[in-house]
Order: sequence, then structure tokens, then C-alpha cells
Amino acid sequence: MASSDKKPLPTPASTGGDGGPPGKPTTMSTMMLDKGAAALQSLRPVKQINQHVCTFALYAHDPHRQLTSPRSYLHRIIGVEYIVSRKIFEALPKEEQRLWHSHAHEIRAGLWASPRVPEMLEKTELDHMAGTFGKFWCTWQVDRGDRLPLGAPALMVSPQAERIATVLPDLVRKRDQKYGFSTEELKAARADVDVPADPRPGQADYWVRHHKGFALDVVPHEMKRHAPFP
Amino acid sequence: MAASCHDVDPVPGKPTETGTSLLETATGAIQGFAPVNQIHQHLCAFHFFGDDMTRQVEAHHFCAHLNEDVRQCLIFDGPDAGARLIGVEYIVSEELFLTLPDDEKPLWHTHEFEVKGGVLFMPGVPGVVERRDLETVAKTYGKTIHFWQVDRGDALPLGLPQIMMALTREGQLRQDLAECVEKKFGVSFQKERENRAYMTGPAHGIHPLANAAGKGLKTSIREVDLPDPTTRARVFT
Repeated sequence: MASSDKKPLPTPASTGGDGGPPGKPTTMSTMMLDKGAAALQSLRPVKQINQHVCTFALYAHDPHRQLTSPRSYLHRIIGVEYIVSRKIFEALPKEEQRLWHSHAHEIRAGLWASPRVPEMLEKTELDHMAGTFGKFWCTWQVDRGDRLPLGAPALMVSPQAERIATVLPDLVRKRDQKYGFSTEELKAARADVDVPADPRPGQADYWVRHHKGFALDVVPHEMKRHAPFP
Repeated sequence: MAASCHDVDPVPGKPTETGTSLLETATGAIQGFAPVNQIHQHLCAFHFFGDDMTRQVEAHHFCAHLNEDVRQCLIFDGPDAGARLIGVEYIVSEELFLTLPDDEKPLWHTHEFEVKGGVLFMPGVPGVVERRDLETVAKTYGKTIHFWQVDRGDALPLGLPQIMMALTREGQLRQDLAECVEKKFGVSFQKERENRAYMTGPAHGIHPLANAAGKGLKTSIREVDLPDPTTRARVFT
């Protein structure tokens, strides 16, 4: 049905337009309804989100395709990343660890940045983050021009020192221009960030070490059911 | 109020340290959160797994409009501060759904039944107000991906992403889950069903390819050879 490494057929959903999703602009009455709801509801889980980080990610089935800071004016949800401490990562089963990536390199290299947060504030956080591991699923492949979220979710991986895992310099330059910081300067400032002696425990960054990527497929499969469907 | 209607072990790890909380309060104040600030609506509904209707999850959607025809939602397993982010859902109008390639359509589900059936609701919002938006939602299609299988007690987001499906008829929703949610939020699905009887679903009816093409689906992972490292990196900007 769908594979993360196959480009969807050309349809209005996958091509054309100004890059934004198809559809009419949000109407005033919809905005009023939304505002009305928001006034009555607490939205507590969302209010817990209090940190904005900008970095780069590579597709696990094709690391030459890279995602950078989103075109923020569009504000699309393109995926979800979970981040855990080394202790939690090391307790994961081996098979599971293969889906996770390390953060030490991208932090040291200045690729991971917090827009608008002063350097001083960042240092404490950086030391901590350099020892963490992430699992990132992309649900909208915006870099290939999809105007709607098409296909199977794709596993994403982090930039690494190895050649196959480096971020295209042009991408970095564009990001720097957009946010007004210098990745090179960040890298120099982070020479003293604490990086673990073994930054790649267990099966972390499996793809880089084994030169094998991962692709996800969505396939037809009998649904276990206790009632008629659909 | 119980956090959710399923049992799950607490998330492993130390409680958030004061220093971390302070830091995040600071970043929260200094940084821009435009995409998150667009989220204005909380919807509660139920999802089940594309290959297993018997595994059902109470899903709290926190949604934003990208435009009149497209919404996006973060899905949590409860309405409270400690709720786990378990998935995302994208919602499109019927018009946009019909433009999707045929191999994409099965990954999307209809909302007509869960809206008209009264089981999808907006906690805290009076019925009269709620219904004004739900009239529109009843005609839409959704694509839901879950990353964290809390219903099987996972303390962490393990395994592969799951394409989820939505209720399409009477008799599918587990009674224990239904009762737990009704009680927790003080709602009556039956009463809402009566109030929403006037609503209509997609103008062209439920597309036969939607809802896993009426069958089922699952995700699987495979290893692939990586492209030649000497090839120039391609970037689509």
C-alpha cells in the first residue's frame, strides 16, 4: 500500500501549488469556533511543551535526503521525536535500539541549536542532551514536495561524523541565515561539551555502523475483529 | 480524575529536576512557539489498531487548522499535564481526500460514525457549541499514526509506528472503555447520538478504499542498502 522509500504517484496531493497544503484559507467563523473552544478547554498536555530546538535529520532509507528547520511559516507537524537518557536507552532490547540515534555529534558540531536562547542558558542543557538518544518518525515528507502527509511513516536518523551522515553545507548555511546564528561559532563554543567516552552504546546508530538503512511499509493484513468492519 | 482508562507503568526515569524545570520555564518564555500556539481544540475519541480492532485506545487530540480543509493534531493518552504523546492525526476535507492516490486512501479513516455515534466529543465544551464544528468533522477523513502502544502497557514508545483506524459502526467500541470515558468526562454517548442525528457524513458517501479498504493493514520494517556515499546529497527545499 505504501512505503517510506517510494515516492507517491503525482496527484494534487503530491505536487503543484505554492508548497503549502491544498485547501481554502481558514474562515473567520472557523477561527471564532476555535477561539471559543480554546477559552473553554485547558489544553494542559500541550502547555507542557516548552522548548524549541532546531536541528537536522536524515532519512534512514536515504541519508542523502535531509530535513532541516521547517519552513516555519507553514507550521506543519512533520513528525515526532522521543528523547531518552543513556540509562534508559541501554535498558532497551537490542532490536529496539537499532531504531534510535545518538545526539552527541550533532550537538558538538553546532547543528543542534535552540532558536533565541542565549548561549549561557544553553550550556547546561547541551551537556545533558549530548548524552541522550532519540527515536524520530517522520509523518510528512515535506522535502520531496508532498502537499499532504502521504505514505508510510519514515525513520529518521541524526547527523554523524561519518561521510554518509554529514549535512549538506548549503543546508546549514541556509539555516544559519534564517535564524541568524553561526553553526561554525556554535561548534567552536561547544568544544567543552561533555561527550560520553562511548557515544554509541549497544545498537545506537545501527545504520551508520552496518551501512544499512531502514524503510517502513504499510501492507494489507487481516484485521483481528470482534465486530463487523467497516 | 483518573489520568486514563488504561493501565500503564509509569514512564521510567528520574522526576524532572528543579533545575530542568526552571530552564524550561525560561526557554518557554523566551522562545517562539507559533506551531504549538495554533493548537486551539481538544477532541476525545477512540482509535484501534489497523490489524486489531480489539485493541482500542482513548485518544486525546489537540488540534490546529492549517487551513479550512486541513487540520493536524497531537494525540495524548489523557487530558492532563503528565499525559504521554502517543501519536499524530491529520484531518482533511472530503474534497482533498478524493485527490489522494488510491494506494494512500486505505491509510485514512472516516469520522462519520464516531461523530454521529456521539463518541467523539470536545471535553468542557457545551453540546450546542461543539456540534457546530462536529458537523464539519463528520464529513472529513483522518490519518492517524500512533508511536506508543500504551494499551499493552509499554512504559516507552517501543516498536514501529502503527496506522490506526476509527470506529465505523455500532458494536465495535469496547463497553468497558466507553463506560470509563463517559464517567470520567460526565458525558453520555447515547444522548449525544440523539442530538447529532441530523448530521450528515461525506457528500459522496464513505469511500470504499478508506478505512483500510475495509480489510486491515499493518506496518513492517525492512533493511535497505544505502545509496553510494560518493553521490552528492540531494536536498529538496
